Amino acid sequence: MSKFDWVVLVATLAFIVAYGVWKGRRQRDLHAYIHAGRQMQWYTIALSIMATQASAITFLSTPGQAYTDGMRFVQFYLGLPVAMVILSITAVPLYHRLKVYTAYEYLEGRFGVGTRTLTATLFLIQRGLSTGITIYAPSLILSVLLGWNIYVTNLVIGLLVIAYTTTGGTKAVSWTHMHQMIIILGGMAVALIVAIRSLPSGITFLDAVHVAGRLGRLNAVDFSFDLTTNYTFWSGLIGGCFLALSYFGTDQSQVQRYLTGETTAQSRLGLLFNGLVKVPMQFFILFVGAMVFVFYQFVTPPLVFNTVERMKIQHSRFAPDYARLEAAHQQNATAKQAEVHTLVAAMRTNDAARIASATDAVRGAQERETATRKLTADLLKTNDPKADTTETNYVFLTFVIRFLPAGLVGLVLAAIFCASMSSTASGLNSLASTSVVDLYRRFVAPNASEHEYIRVSRAMSLLWGLFAIGFAEFANRLGSLIEAVNKLGSLFYGTILGIFLLAFYVKEVGGTAAFIGAIVGEAAVVWCSLFTNLGYLWWNVIGCVVGIAAAIVVEKMLPAREAEVEIAT
Amino acid sequence: MSDQQNDDDLPPVGRSWRNLYLAVLVNLAVLIVLFYAFTKAFQ
Repeated sequence: MSKFDWVVLVATLAFIVAYGVWKGRRQRDLHAYIHAGRQMQWYTIALSIMATQASAITFLSTPGQAYTDGMRFVQFYLGLPVAMVILSITAVPLYHRLKVYTAYEYLEGRFGVGTRTLTATLFLIQRGLSTGITIYAPSLILSVLLGWNIYVTNLVIGLLVIAYTTTGGTKAVSWTHMHQMIIILGGMAVALIVAIRSLPSGITFLDAVHVAGRLGRLNAVDFSFDLTTNYTFWSGLIGGCFLALSYFGTDQSQVQRYLTGETTAQSRLGLLFNGLVKVPMQFFILFVGAMVFVFYQFVTPPLVFNTVERMKIQHSRFAPDYARLEAAHQQNATAKQAEVHTLVAAMRTNDAARIASATDAVRGAQERETATRKLTADLLKTNDPKADTTETNYVFLTFVIRFLPAGLVGLVLAAIFCASMSSTASGLNSLASTSVVDLYRRFVAPNASEHEYIRVSRAMSLLWGLFAIGFAEFANRLGSLIEAVNKLGSLFYGTILGIFLLAFYVKEVGGTAAFIGAIVGEAAVVWCSLFTNLGYLWWNVIGCVVGIAAAIVVEKMLPAREAEVEIAT
Repeated sequence: MSDQQNDDDLPPVGRSWRNLYLAVLVNLAVLIVLFYAFTKAFQ
């Protein structure tokens, strides 16, 4: 990384942090700290919603996902626009009318304090762990860039992020998101252009797309109904819709974003804009990964993308074994490059027989590469059982560092860094809000001063940040980061969504039945995750449907509605 | 409350909220068709 890259990186981050602090100054009450005084317009809300969801993990792991598994991950987002419409009709006007600080506050009026506390607690667990992963992502960047120990890097970066997030509150978070999204999308566009322009002379963009398709990297839609496959059209549309309903409708890190809207209309427009652009945006990011994959068909990719792990094995007693694998990999890559050129020539002449034979040859080389990578991963694990062998997280980053020109590396890294900080800020901000509003103000100090609530909110941001750092230390054992975050969310979101749907639509169900239903729903999800091969998006459906069904059955078994809930409703 | 009702009745664009919801869903349907065509065209 050149000095120019460092200048761009530091200058961009300094601008974002300074801008956030400046925008977030003068906050004297909880309303201003949590809801930014409800002054935001739809475009700020929309970009803030997108920036909250699209953390550094999105930009590190998603292109790598396309590199290793193709573009089918885009189906994960197909249910999102449907969820945006449903939430605009139901949750947005309700939350605005009740003027709640958190989504869980609403549940007390409907089901009593027990259910409110349960959902708030489930959120705190899930979001606290997820925020840990968002802190881990930029640590990954610096550990690979500078060869630092990732555990120390987690700690250093985490503390820096905490220091930034505790100062500005929601207003700073929302305003900085807007600039960060522009930088992020600019960074990804630059990466795509460089990947395409770096192809060998004579290889056009259309050639590259055809090669990606031939090698199974443009598999954007799969209509097969296979419950054990994570990403299909059906799991994305149905399971993804349930996940998005729960994430955007009940997760305080998102609810807090659109509750900053000046009116119901501004909040709705923010969500609907997200519904319009989110799927194409994810397609674009995955397409960047597919083009990086094509680029590496003409340039030999590293056998181990993770620099730290590569250095470890090269300085171990297994170095000779690794050298042999690397030689085999290089030989195979050279042969594959020739076959890819043959494939491109065959596709240009539209010679079906030559296309078929060249495709088989390239796929054969691809399979040999996969086998060599598997042997290498086994070797890394033999050398160090704790070795991180998940290449998905390192593919895009390695490409950026090695092939982007000076200045643009700094810009892309700044974009990834900003994205992580913004998601972490939203996470810590919402964790603090929920801790203060649903626990501290509800049970500990109901009549404290506004100054006291803000002070405790900042203390909670710090405590949750330290918790997230602790979890970040284990994140490299979770596999693909983007999948880890979504799997973690899917463990809890279905159950929480079930509670909210009961509250919105099943008026005869009371607090006790809803509470028991939630426990049964969560138990069903945990059982599915431990003892079945069900794709994780379906956990959202299971948690929601089982929770609702159990609550309705329990309600019918109960003699009468509890007095406390009758009073509350 | 009455201000909120006015917001709900008339969005700034698209004449009605129903039209905006339809626009989002139609956009999704078009994207799915395009993705399917994209997958098949380069398979």
